[in-house]
Amino acid sequence: MKQFLLILSFCMLSLSASVQASGGYGITLEPAQNNLRDQDSLKRGAILFSNYCMACHSLKYMRYNRIARNLGWDEDAIVAEMAYGQSTVYEDVTTRILPGVAMDVFGTEPPDLSLMSRLKGTDYIYSFLRGYEQNEKGEWENHVLKGTAMPNVLEGIQRHSSEEEYAEAARDITNFLDYVGEPSKIDRLDLGWKVVAFLLVLLLLAYLLKREYWKDIEH
Amino acid sequence: MSTEEQNNVSVNLQRRKILTGATGVVGAAGATFLAVPFVSSWQPSEKAKAAGAPVNADISQLQLGQMLTVAWRGKPVWVVRRTSDMLGGLAPLDGQLRDPASLESIQPKYCQNPTRAIKDEYLVVVGICTHLGCAPLYRPAIGSPDVGADWQGGFFCPCHGSRFDLAGRVFQSVPAPTNLVIPPHHFLTDYLIRIGEGPAEGGVA
Amino acid sequence: MSEQNKQQSTLLAWFDKRYPLISTWNKHVGEYYAPKNFNFWYFFGALALLVFVNQIVSGIWLTMSYKPSAAEAFNSIEYIMRDVQWGWLIRYMHSTGASAFFLVVYLHMMRGLLYGSYKEPRELVWLLGMMLFLVLMAEAFMGYLLPWGQMSYWGAQVIISLFGAIPVIGPDLALWVRGDFVISDVTLNRFFALHVIALPLVLVILIFMHIVALHQVGSNNPDGVEIKKYKNNKGLPIDGIAFHPYYSVKDTMGAVFFMTLFALVIFYAPEGGGYFIEAPNFEPANPLKTPDHIAPVWYFTPFYAILRAIPDKFLGVVAMGGAIAVLFAMPWLDRCKVKSIRYRGISFKILLTILVVSFVVLGWLGTQPATPELTKLAQIFTALYFMFFLVLPFTSKNEHTKPVPERVT
Repeated sequence: MKQFLLILSFCMLSLSASVQASGGYGITLEPAQNNLRDQDSLKRGAILFSNYCMACHSLKYMRYNRIARNLGWDEDAIVAEMAYGQSTVYEDVTTRILPGVAMDVFGTEPPDLSLMSRLKGTDYIYSFLRGYEQNEKGEWENHVLKGTAMPNVLEGIQRHSSEEEYAEAARDITNFLDYVGEPSKIDRLDLGWKVVAFLLVLLLLAYLLKREYWKDIEH
Repeated sequence: MSTEEQNNVSVNLQRRKILTGATGVVGAAGATFLAVPFVSSWQPSEKAKAAGAPVNADISQLQLGQMLTVAWRGKPVWVVRRTSDMLGGLAPLDGQLRDPASLESIQPKYCQNPTRAIKDEYLVVVGICTHLGCAPLYRPAIGSPDVGADWQGGFFCPCHGSRFDLAGRVFQSVPAPTNLVIPPHHFLTDYLIRIGEGPAEGGVA
Repeated sequence: MSEQNKQQSTLLAWFDKRYPLISTWNKHVGEYYAPKNFNFWYFFGALALLVFVNQIVSGIWLTMSYKPSAAEAFNSIEYIMRDVQWGWLIRYMHSTGASAFFLVVYLHMMRGLLYGSYKEPRELVWLLGMMLFLVLMAEAFMGYLLPWGQMSYWGAQVIISLFGAIPVIGPDLALWVRGDFVISDVTLNRFFALHVIALPLVLVILIFMHIVALHQVGSNNPDGVEIKKYKNNKGLPIDGIAFHPYYSVKDTMGAVFFMTLFALVIFYAPEGGGYFIEAPNFEPANPLKTPDHIAPVWYFTPFYAILRAIPDKFLGVVAMGGAIAVLFAMPWLDRCKVKSIRYRGISFKILLTILVVSFVVLGWLGTQPATPELTKLAQIFTALYFMFFLVLPFTSKNEHTKPVPERVT
């Protein structure tokens, strides 16, 4: 039994201790500290995403009606606020840029961001958004992703708002992208403990049953 | 002598029975819970639902007596603008119909009326025969040659000869069992009908 | 006997006359006598079967929405994760199940090494088990290509390139496996066929044979003594207990315990910290861009580390294959008559510890980028891994063993 607990704790430890295996970008990332259950933050993030990101980036695996449902948003309101009424709620979140234009302007195709939070992690997104600094020549550089073609879209907020507001804007966008990365995550977290609780009850019964039958066996 | 027999005396069979039963019942409940995701994953996905979302039918160009077809959930939905003659001809047919008051048929509550419509003039109906799923033909003219001299106008299914009147109500002694299905719909404006969504879900009847 | 019971027994008799229902049940469950001293290591066989069923059922459901084409595969996974009702749960059951399968199987194999379950008369049980392990690796490898993410693509690229290292026929063989000049739609499609039909079928047959072979010779136990030696007046082993109800209730308990842990992972850590679902796999396969750091899924990393440790392409492949092949030979490499580690000499205990430590360290190394220092480390532990199998035949021949009890303790 001792051995068993040892193995178990080893497995659990290696699981919990394992940082994102893909981590290690060679830079320290700021913790995003976003909260998926903060619906106001998610809504603000969605609107910020629409205003600052959707000009180039799409969320092709995300439909407006799903966002509306999950964030407790009216279907007409979401189309008005995120798509300026240019889409139906049954469509995916597409970018406003015409195909090929970004290639001409930035020299690269802006990636779809549906899975960015799962690919890079929320801390990365948060740090990247806040990673812009101006060099001596007045050019913006991003210390998280050097040489990125993406302009400092949050420059206006960075310049004209307080540090808290700037951080909150980046956090809200990150939060929204975290949600978009796995829209069923909240359902998953909410269901999990119920399943585990049920299994623990079953485990107790199974243990009692086993103990009862094994009274027959001398050992 | 096996170990089993040695200890038989002290065995509490009652307790065993209860524990076996309890574990079995809770285990079966767990199996049922587990079956839920697998069974419900066969339901239409979000994508299918989005593809089957309500559609709008623009009826501003629809003339009296004309029919318009729109696709909703991959099915034809007809919008027929009925004349007052057509509407007047409905009630006298009641005696020849299988379900004149639409008691056995599928339609939203707000269309369970003599004309089977929100506004008498506009019939909105799923163009699929309730017999075996063929698409009936619109035959509005009285005495249409391919239907019969006593024909008062309506829908005729060429597959197995089912007949429906101009409210989609089925005649007696044809194979179709019930009236044509009326989908949920409502008027967004006087000239725009939203099909697939009832008045309660947005807009007025 | 009540009227109803009589009817039931008549029906059973009717059936049994035409199909060996009762005798099969008795042989494998009701009157299969297993040693009474099983410890927790003996849970993992039943758990492997449980995970297998989980993989089959969740897998069947995934195929209902998955599209095996390069253009649609990645999208269809996201379709499952987002649009199919409960699709996310079914997919996580399958992806977590893959890792759980290997975890359970590795522990199951460890049990065999600890208590000498590969020894006479159970050599065939061990060989069938090793074949299962081999097919399971192929199954997992092919399944990993299906999401068509970056890791799927480049992992498959690396492994298929291994075939290219075989002299003379290598390049042609790699081409034949791919069915194209690069890994493409064609490769994906055939891997899908093998993953969902061919290999599962082979697994079912091998599992069946594994169990039949086991029941033919009877289970080993932590003391490594044969319970069939001492029988009572009914001809039943004194230290044996009927599988049902004793081990069926015990295994049920183990299964529920396992499911609890399994549920915790599915609901709270489905990516397994980036080890069960690797982050780069959230980016669609791109044949023109290799991810910064490719690592196979954790259950392949010990063998992958061995591959990388050898500074020669062909010999690396040989070493990797050899690391698995030597396990097949265990029944003949170990010449000690004593089965259980409880009564074996210090030499075996040290050797086995070295093997396990090497395996774990190599597993960790396989997840890391290959720096010169780490490669050196990988070489040392590769050497130690193989040392176990080289030294064992000599040390085990004249091992200083402890006296083995006559009956189970």
